[in-house]
Amino acid sequence: MTRDILLQIGQVITVIALAPLLQGVILQWEERVQRAQGPGTFQPYRDLWKLFHKQGVVPETASFIYWIAPIVAFTCMLTVPILIPVLTDFPLPQSDMGDILGGGLILTLGSFLITLAGLDSGSAYGGIGSSRAVMLAILAEPTLILVFVGITLLAKAMLPFVVNHLLVQQPAIYWSPAHLFLVAAFFILLLVETDRLPVHSSTHIEVYMIDEARILEYSGPLLALLKWASMMKQFILYTIFSNVLLLPWGLSRQGTAVGALAAAAALFGKFLIVALTVVFVETAQSRLRYYRYQEPLATSFLLAILAIVANQLR
Amino acid sequence: MVGHLLAVILLAPLLAVLGCLLLHRPRFVEFLNLAAALIAFLAVLRLLPLALAGPYLFWHAYLIVDALGAWVLLSVSSVYLLASIYAIGYMRSTGEDQRLYRFYALFAGFALTTLTGPLMNNIGVYWIAIELTTLVSTFLVCFELGRESVEAAWKYIVIVSGGISLALLGIVFYYWGGSFVLGATYDLTWSTLRQVAPQINPTIGLMAFLLVLIGFGTKVGLAPMHTWLPDAHSEGPAPVSAMLSGALLNTAMIGIARFIQVSDAAQLGTLPRTVVVAIGAFSLFVAALFITRQTGIKRLMAYSSVEHMGVMALGFGFGGPLGIAGALYHMLGHSLNKPLMFFGAGNAMHAFHSKRISRIHNVLSRMPISGLLWLAGAVAITGAPPFGLFPSELTILRAGLTGPYTWAVFVMLILLIVIFVGFLNHFRVMYFGNRTNLVLASAPALKKTLSLWCVVPMWMALVPLLLLGLWWPQTFSHYFAAIASQLASTVSSP
Amino acid sequence: MLAAQLDPLAASLFSLMAIASLLLSFVMLGSRWLTDYLVAFAVQSWLIAFLSAAVGYYGHYPELYLIAILTALFRGILLPYLILKIIKRQDVDREVHERLSPSACMVLGALLVLFAFVVSSHLGKSLGLTGTVAVLAMTVMLSMKLIGFLMLVVRSEALSQILGLLVLENGIFLGSQILVPGMPLLIELVILFDLLVVVACFGVLIRYLVAHAGTSSAYDLRRLVG
Repeated sequence: MTRDILLQIGQVITVIALAPLLQGVILQWEERVQRAQGPGTFQPYRDLWKLFHKQGVVPETASFIYWIAPIVAFTCMLTVPILIPVLTDFPLPQSDMGDILGGGLILTLGSFLITLAGLDSGSAYGGIGSSRAVMLAILAEPTLILVFVGITLLAKAMLPFVVNHLLVQQPAIYWSPAHLFLVAAFFILLLVETDRLPVHSSTHIEVYMIDEARILEYSGPLLALLKWASMMKQFILYTIFSNVLLLPWGLSRQGTAVGALAAAAALFGKFLIVALTVVFVETAQSRLRYYRYQEPLATSFLLAILAIVANQLR
Repeated sequence: MVGHLLAVILLAPLLAVLGCLLLHRPRFVEFLNLAAALIAFLAVLRLLPLALAGPYLFWHAYLIVDALGAWVLLSVSSVYLLASIYAIGYMRSTGEDQRLYRFYALFAGFALTTLTGPLMNNIGVYWIAIELTTLVSTFLVCFELGRESVEAAWKYIVIVSGGISLALLGIVFYYWGGSFVLGATYDLTWSTLRQVAPQINPTIGLMAFLLVLIGFGTKVGLAPMHTWLPDAHSEGPAPVSAMLSGALLNTAMIGIARFIQVSDAAQLGTLPRTVVVAIGAFSLFVAALFITRQTGIKRLMAYSSVEHMGVMALGFGFGGPLGIAGALYHMLGHSLNKPLMFFGAGNAMHAFHSKRISRIHNVLSRMPISGLLWLAGAVAITGAPPFGLFPSELTILRAGLTGPYTWAVFVMLILLIVIFVGFLNHFRVMYFGNRTNLVLASAPALKKTLSLWCVVPMWMALVPLLLLGLWWPQTFSHYFAAIASQLASTVSSP
Repeated sequence: MLAAQLDPLAASLFSLMAIASLLLSFVMLGSRWLTDYLVAFAVQSWLIAFLSAAVGYYGHYPELYLIAILTALFRGILLPYLILKIIKRQDVDREVHERLSPSACMVLGALLVLFAFVVSSHLGKSLGLTGTVAVLAMTVMLSMKLIGFLMLVVRSEALSQILGLLVLENGIFLGSQILVPGMPLLIELVILFDLLVVVACFGVLIRYLVAHAGTSSAYDLRRLVG
């Protein structure tokens, strides 16, 4: 029992500790693919350290939302790893607090508060960023729900652990069109939610920013919390993608310490594969105009519907 | 004997096509086409009484000669003959001597594909014949290479190809339904399908019937799939419009009639016939609307075709000996009347250099004889006595009153009256309307009188039409009774 | 009935190819560039040819191998080549006038797939064939037809309309391979050659369109009304 609790805490710590590493790897590889030097794989850690040691500057027009948004976002990101299979493939204590849909909603809660914070201080760029982010969410959330519905119909259960077991035990379902389409749909959503091309501009020009424009008013430790929260969101989405859908193998069965460490290493290995794909996709594309963001999301919607239809015909 | 006649009917246009392609002299190709049309017509006349003796199968049951097919062949070949005679005069006046051989090659080819349609026993091959008619006639429609004719040809081929692909889907469904009973490989002929129809799953049978109805209905020109018809019929040269209207629509209609027979054998209830009747009534409605507000003469004739196809669909939908007799008589009458109208329209276009009704006025001053014939044809085509379309429409109305579709009878009656008024109003304006001298002065005078080639076919169409209206031959009644019993289509009891 | 007695591996192979063909028709629906459509169509034709060969293998219909080779040759190589020549000859290479944006088309296409699915599952239930690949084949066939018609409605470029018609034919062909593999050889061959003739006719017509109407887009063909 205590072992399980320790494993659960270990899951959360894994997420906290390794999230900046994932971000660093992705950024480094992007630069490397474009034959630049790159900032170094551990740069996000250094950034967080720097930000925690800086003084925060608070705008005069900020309200209590300004203060609670980073904290709530960070807390949400701490909560979700409890619900999903990060290290083990059996449910740990309190993992039935929420199912797939619940996990998705908690992630959205954090995003929602940051959007409010962007509006809170009354700056123009914050407003633009928030409205764009919400617009993107309007397009992406229904597709995300539909993907979750597809996953649920596939496994006939709403818990990610059941899906994981199903895919491991029955290769026929793994290779069925329903599952493959769900993987493709989720991949597109992954790109959109983690703010990668073709949806995001990697320049620092404020006019193009979507998610980053919301946090322009933040500095110091609050900024560090926000950045960490977004890195953890990326890590969590990758975890759901890898451990639940794409590569459900390599999770600890018995929950021993060695198994947990090996699972963490395997997790990171899976992330490297996914990150490589994301880097390729991002390098091969250029940014779409804003009104064309509906196109990849419509494709994702379409794939989710095809997955549901294919599942019914299985 | 029947086999020989069949060979003659099919070979005559084929040889005409080859002859036109090999030798390019204009006068020669004209007469080659005319000869082929005459030979085919005479052969069909000879075939007609022989076909009554029962379906003949040829070529491993790929070709069938039965009474219904022979009747459609009669309509088709008479239009072919009339149009060939008219085409000589019309095409000479367009001055297209360089490309004339292409026109006649396409024309004879079109006639060939239209003649083969009713003879096809295998349903898949029937579909291919219909597809071929579309392809050949497209190039005839855009023969006068102008902006509007190319647009019309494009619309024609896209809409009709899309429509008949639906018919192919329906045929595949029929084949699939039959494969549960007859095994995976078998020849889908009309008789096989009729025999196996009761055992096909009713859902498949219904879906397949609706698909072929819509698919072949596109080809026939029933509303709401008629949108290609006004364009294609108005932009082609007049003889081509006559063939399209008088011949091609019948070839597709025979498919629908045979499929109605199949669905009756399958006993799917009243829904199939109700849909046919509803589509027929809707075609009449659309035609009535567009006829009253029409501005071009050939488009007017085209919508009149939609109307008459609607009437025929109603006839086949009502069913029973009366309904089928009415529809078949109507088919022949329409095949005589519609070319007459298109010939008149072609003559008027040449006399007044315009297709628009507003530019045509005082017709009798420029075309005295053919103008009179045209006017008589207009009275005939709206279904007035003493011409041939009146008894057939009356028969169809009677057939409808005996069945469960009396609502359709009243709709048909009202719409026929509306069409009568609307159609003849245009003619009143053209013949007897008052125009200012300004408009008269602007239209250039006729350079030469209409050639005899353009007027004789109008006589040849009008006289039989008058005869058909005055006297319904007893032999035709026997013929229709035989066809009706072959179709064995009785109105399903309510 | 072949589709009812397939072993699971064959059934999943057929379903994979059918769904991949459907996906390719969505790629056609969602792309603006004419060469993209054409490549998707060519790949789809190859997939269907491969499906034909697989049906021939599992169902013991040796004549289907011939059909498969001819399909790959004509629909997979010759038709795309002819259409590519037409594209190169005209200077329009993408959809200029969009009646409906590609993403809206794709969502509409997804709804059509759902409709086709409902119809096919109803039909399958009444036939007792639920749970076999027959229902999937019918869904894919009907949805490819509906998507083909959607392309005809929404697209205004002449070439897109040709490709829409060809997608219609592809859909019927796919369905007929799975549902009625025993269809007589003659019919299948003639339909195949018929397609060739159709595309040749379309090629000539497009040339006329460009020469006499000055455009290859149906958007500009507005003279005939009423």
